[in-house]
Amino acid sequence: MSSREILTLQFGHYANFVGTHWWNIQETGFEYNTTQPSEIDHSVLFREGRTPKGQVTFTPRLLLVDLKCSLKSLPKQGDLYESAPDSSQLFVEWDGNKVELQKNQKEPKNEFQIDLENPEALPSVSSKKYNLDENVEVWSDYLYSKYHPRTVNIVNEYEHCNEETPFDSYSSGTALWKNEMFEDEFADKIRSYIEECDHFQGFHILTDCTNGFAGLSSACLEHVRDEYDRKSVLVLPTIPAHFPDNDFKNDREQVFSIMNDSTRVINLLMSFNSYRQFGSMFAPLCAATDGWRQPGVPREFYHTQFNHKLPYHSSAILASALDTLTLKYRLKSTTCSLTDLCADLTGNDRKAISASLCMPFSLNSDAELIDCLDQWEGPLYRSITPRCKIGTERVMQHLMLRGIPETRLKKAQNKAGKQKEMAAYKCNSVKEMMEFYLSCTTFATASNVGVLEKAMPVSNPFPEIFDQWIGVNGNVCANPRGESQRVESIPILAGFHSGSEIGEMLESLHTEAKKLKIARFHKFTIEQDEYGESLNDILTLRENYEDSYLV
Amino acid sequence: MAISLLNPKAEVARAAQALAVNISAAKGIQEVMKSNLGPKGTMKMLVSGAGDIKITKDGNILLHEMQIQHPTASLIARASTAQDDMTGDGTTSTVLLIGELLKQADIYIAEGLHPRLLAEGFDKAKTKALEVLDKIKIPIEINRENLLDVCRTSLRTKVHQTLADVLTEVCVEAVLAIRPKDNKPVDLHMVELMQMQHKTETDSSLIKGLVLDHGSRHPDMPKRLENCYILTCNVSLEYEKSEVNSGFFYKTAEERDKMVLAEREFIDQRVKKVIELKKKICTGTNKTFVIINQKGIDPMSLDQLAKEGIIALRRAKRRNMERLSLACGGTAMNTFDDLSESCLGYAGLVYEHVLGETKFTFVEECKNPQSVTILLKGPNKHSLQQIKDAIRDGLRAINNAIEDKAVIPGAGAFEIAANKELLQWKDTVKGKTRLGVVAYAEALLVIPKILATNSGFDVQETIVKLQEESHTSPEPIGLDLTSGEPISPKDAGIFDNYIVKKQIINSCSVIASNLLLVDEIMRAGMSSLKG
Ligand SMILES: Nc1ncnc2c1ncn2[C@@H]1O[C@H](COP(=O)(O)OP(=O)(O)OP(=O)(O)O)[C@@H](O)[C@H]1O
Ligand SMILES: [Mg+2]
Repeated sequence: MSSREILTLQFGHYANFVGTHWWNIQETGFEYNTTQPSEIDHSVLFREGRTPKGQVTFTPRLLLVDLKCSLKSLPKQGDLYESAPDSSQLFVEWDGNKVELQKNQKEPKNEFQIDLENPEALPSVSSKKYNLDENVEVWSDYLYSKYHPRTVNIVNEYEHCNEETPFDSYSSGTALWKNEMFEDEFADKIRSYIEECDHFQGFHILTDCTNGFAGLSSACLEHVRDEYDRKSVLVLPTIPAHFPDNDFKNDREQVFSIMNDSTRVINLLMSFNSYRQFGSMFAPLCAATDGWRQPGVPREFYHTQFNHKLPYHSSAILASALDTLTLKYRLKSTTCSLTDLCADLTGNDRKAISASLCMPFSLNSDAELIDCLDQWEGPLYRSITPRCKIGTERVMQHLMLRGIPETRLKKAQNKAGKQKEMAAYKCNSVKEMMEFYLSCTTFATASNVGVLEKAMPVSNPFPEIFDQWIGVNGNVCANPRGESQRVESIPILAGFHSGSEIGEMLESLHTEAKKLKIARFHKFTIEQDEYGESLNDILTLRENYEDSYLV
Repeated sequence: MAISLLNPKAEVARAAQALAVNISAAKGIQEVMKSNLGPKGTMKMLVSGAGDIKITKDGNILLHEMQIQHPTASLIARASTAQDDMTGDGTTSTVLLIGELLKQADIYIAEGLHPRLLAEGFDKAKTKALEVLDKIKIPIEINRENLLDVCRTSLRTKVHQTLADVLTEVCVEAVLAIRPKDNKPVDLHMVELMQMQHKTETDSSLIKGLVLDHGSRHPDMPKRLENCYILTCNVSLEYEKSEVNSGFFYKTAEERDKMVLAEREFIDQRVKKVIELKKKICTGTNKTFVIINQKGIDPMSLDQLAKEGIIALRRAKRRNMERLSLACGGTAMNTFDDLSESCLGYAGLVYEHVLGETKFTFVEECKNPQSVTILLKGPNKHSLQQIKDAIRDGLRAINNAIEDKAVIPGAGAFEIAANKELLQWKDTVKGKTRLGVVAYAEALLVIPKILATNSGFDVQETIVKLQEESHTSPEPIGLDLTSGEPISPKDAGIFDNYIVKKQIINSCSVIASNLLLVDEIMRAGMSSLKG
């Protein structure tokens, strides 16, 4: 069957951090040898194009938005279709004495970026040691993919990290959408992408939800709902695992930080309501436990140490989950579409869902899945949705496991020994065994597991966040990994879940938001009534999770 | 609010200091912008740290590109860009005039005059200046010649002369084509701007029809048709699964396909209706059929249409639905229930043009098109952007002239005239407010002065010449930028928009006064906080 295309829209700097990792993971996983074609249908998220010189390109079907000064060394149009013109050769027809060149200093590139441009260095890029932890300031610093010239959209009105021009309220975002740049040009770019598609199925909207992009993505979502009424929209609101202003040093900064925390809560409330109203389904994502007011303590994953203060790290975790989860409808063999997934998970209008991750899926290098599951202690996966546990009762869930080949399922009949005594031994596939395991560990829960044999690539520019017990192939080893070696790929499990715990998450947002008097926040042009209505709406959504609805 | 009090930068400076700060900020931004003014101004090429290029001479665009940190400067910048939003022009003049009003005020304040009296004087002078403006305005007939003049004046301040003259023709033709015959307001959206990155800027042209930036998505569809019926519609011709189909309950691929087929019936019916109509009206004639749909058309539907020799375009812009009806006639259909010949539009020629990965479809030879397309050409992104910006300005200048039914003599003529009249009139103003009027009159001269500077003429000499000439001449007098001599802008065909000048006069005096009264505004602000 031909590909069912999806268009990805990314709004905001943190969402772009996540997105950058996501596209990187996909592209570093491309296999160019055709003897073993990939099981992943890359055409779902990528598009084929052609440069003016006739070269064939394969670029993300993507539009992203960020603020002025957030790109550093990346030119807006990229350099895939046209190399950036040499500014010393610039020529304009105008009175020669009356032409003034204002040239900003060239943005320096880091070693990784320089190597990417050098065909000789390219082969070693995936494993070379780069100091990206320290060198990454903005997402383009570790961008491996090349984008189509129309992909990057820069908001001129607000500057990245400039206190004088903060883009921090839902209201400023919705107002921005009314600019010609969005209502006309951006909307038209969406249309152009979709016009190319033969079997367009829907959108991914990956977005910041604690700043002005909460409003911008909401306004865009409403447009999309209007214009492409029958397409599915999966909204993925992301929250950084750390806000720098929460590290205050004095009283004044503390007051400032508290104000920001409150502003962020309002943005969350307003945008979640839009996502509920106009999206097909939305999964709030954060690599820390609390998400709102303050992100809270970082989530923990087996054999993984990440610095939650680095967006470069925390966003890699969310991206790994997204890349894995979306495989549900991105495999060549799949019969499941984004619409199907949404339909499964949003019964009773439960449009908010939670996500989980087990990364790496800790399988000992000499073990089989059956023993691994048998000996597993604690929960299989961790929530990556703030203030939300992953329940084990009355849950609807879709999981995706990648990197466990069928050969690692169990020992052959004649060598199986003790394994044969386990009930799971009768399972003949990874999928079957996982579903069996889940049915044993949950109650009244419907679990659908998808599998992909190939592990997820985590070579450069993915951050090095795995401890020494994880081997090059991502399995847990008895001996520590060598100094010079890096993990190349990992097995990973991720899930989307719908259960009553999400109601608690919504409740907690409601509680926080209710404490705030909207009239005191001048940057919002939201009336008291409207705010009250939003508070009610989120409670209504919360109620959808109350009655113990059975699968 | 609480936050801004905590912010050290916003700590209330003493009033005098605050005023000084405002004045210096206004001077600063004036300094940056003054080289832009007029057709002899400086073209700026901005190259970002990543190598992005922007070429412009337009005040509004520069203000958007600049990183303005100072709050006063950004207030002025915002006022100027608001000016552009409303009228599409006059940004540079606004910045210059605000700066000059404050500079003049500074002189009097240094001598001990209270800012409030100056502000009052500004206000009086403003009213008088508006009277002068009304006196000097030249009522025009809406015809080609008059519109060409005002558009040419505007465009020659944006791009070099040869190109300006090409674009002037294009813009005026475009507006005249779409202008409703009954004198209803012009909707500039009915001029589509389409960019093609190739050839040179002067190859830009007007297409009396529509150009779409997409083509058919079927290899067997014709690339060119003549005598075309055009069906414009917003009807989905793609199969979309309506049934909710759980991933928990697997269906085999065959089962699924069967289901798809059943669901397709519905879409096929729609396609059949189009084909039936096509057969009915085209068979046995030389007529052909084109369908342009706002919704999707899937490969199966395309296939059926292609077999009938129909060109089918999917996912057309919403706005093109309206444009197509205006360009070709016919009505945009939301259903195919009663499809008939009378719903269709007509175009003499429809053809596809491929450039790189983009296809363009030209819908041309329309009878009496009321929506047209300006096809912009240029060798690279930044040159395309530059002429797009220029064309926008040109179109708005034409539209302003149509709405005003009048123009203003340019080249500094209004400013010279208003300066003269204000100075004569000032004696009727009582008390020290009069000094505000004098300051205002003096400030207006900044426009001819900087026009002179930018053309390399001595400022004082030029102004004296202009003033002398204007005392003797009954006609408004402006500056000839080539010779430095006085001219009649009317004879030279240099015209500005009435509404633009009016806006400039209004907004500049208000902003300048606010900046002068910073002291009182701050106190008022403080007390309202306490209360
Ligand atoms: N051929 C000309 N000779 C003399 N003066 C001219 C001529 N053409 C235009 N002008 C004058 O130049 C001024 C307009 O310059 P310009 O368009 O650069 O600035 P602006 O309209 O104030 O701002 P913006 O940058 O927004 O267009 C007007 O005062 C106009 O009368
Ligand atoms: Mg102008």
